[in-house]
Amino acid sequence: MTEPHVLIVEDSALVTDALRILFEGSGFRVTVASSVADARALPPDDVADLMLLDVTLEDGDGLELLMEMRAANAEPDTTIALTGYDDPITRQRAIDAGCADVLVKPVPVRELLRIARNYTA
Amino acid sequence: MMTDDENRAAPERIAILEAQVLEAQRVINELHSRDALKTQFLSNISHDLRTPLTAIITHAEILRDGMLGELNERQTQSVAGIITGGRQLLDMIGEILVYAKGAGRQLDLNVSDFAISEVIDHVLAVNEPLAAKKGLSVNIDVPPNLRLRADRDKITHVVTNLIGNAIDFTDRGGLSVRASRIPVEEEPHIRVEVQDTGIGIRPEHHELIFQEFAQVDSTASRSHHGTGLGLAIARRLVELHDGRIWVESEPGIGSTFAFVIPCIVSE
Repeated sequence: MTEPHVLIVEDSALVTDALRILFEGSGFRVTVASSVADARALPPDDVADLMLLDVTLEDGDGLELLMEMRAANAEPDTTIALTGYDDPITRQRAIDAGCADVLVKPVPVRELLRIARNYTA
Repeated sequence: MMTDDENRAAPERIAILEAQVLEAQRVINELHSRDALKTQFLSNISHDLRTPLTAIITHAEILRDGMLGELNERQTQSVAGIITGGRQLLDMIGEILVYAKGAGRQLDLNVSDFAISEVIDHVLAVNEPLAAKKGLSVNIDVPPNLRLRADRDKITHVVTNLIGNAIDFTDRGGLSVRASRIPVEEEPHIRVEVQDTGIGIRPEHHELIFQEFAQVDSTASRSHHGTGLGLAIARRLVELHDGRIWVESEPGIGSTFAFVIPCIVSE
């Protein structure tokens, strides 16, 4: 069985470094995109099983990126929004854009892994 | 009767007063503008602080869970300290963010129907280990079907603050949490109170503690590492629900913090 593939779209290297260690240490294959531009440049034939998507990126809006990926048939099976903004408007925007869940950073690692495994099982 | 000199001076005085009014208005506008900038700064910095804190807590939890190798007992304790400290810092940043939103009039009510017992049970479940560590008793008198329409997250924030304070400022005895349905001017309200057997608060401080950035100057409050915003935010959130919050307390005996909010209640 191939390892589940998680794409982390997040502009803080501090956060992606931690998440890479977490997911690679838990049997996931990890791809990191640190910007909207990085995510657009990913190979179209290697779509992730799960995307952890920061809503606010330095060069654009993560949720617009998700819709762009959908239009290009490059949308991961599941997208979970990771945000620092714990407010109902951001939550609703993410759900409306097609995110399966919205998590507020920092998510306890055990909970994050449990959720990621559920969606990639 | 005014003299000729006084008559001549009157228009000049009016002109001076008008200029002073204009100047005062300009200063007020500038202060409002600077206050808005300060609030925006607080909001931005609170949000930005979460990013490195996310990395710190995540790395520490990875270590705690042995993903990079098993830790010995002292290493485990040390890492647990990083996580606890990080989470406390996160709570404080969260308070500043709520304060900044409130000061910027950006707080909205996201109303839903829920039982107050669900909120109280959740908050107590999170806080009970801390109460147990201090040997405090926890009594609960909350009807299970007491429902209300309110902003659940904001009521949770208020209850968390009151229960957290009760535990922080009580070294012996314990706390009691009660909820009841009461009429206020014939309208249905819900009353929640948190009573403790802690150090108590002097009467002259009963209002002060609900003011922003106020911490009563005592050894006990200095050793309590809060932002000084907790009760001010609680009051703001209760008032956002058209409610009221207050304290009854006697030094050395204990305190009872209570709030009432109007609600549609079904049992």
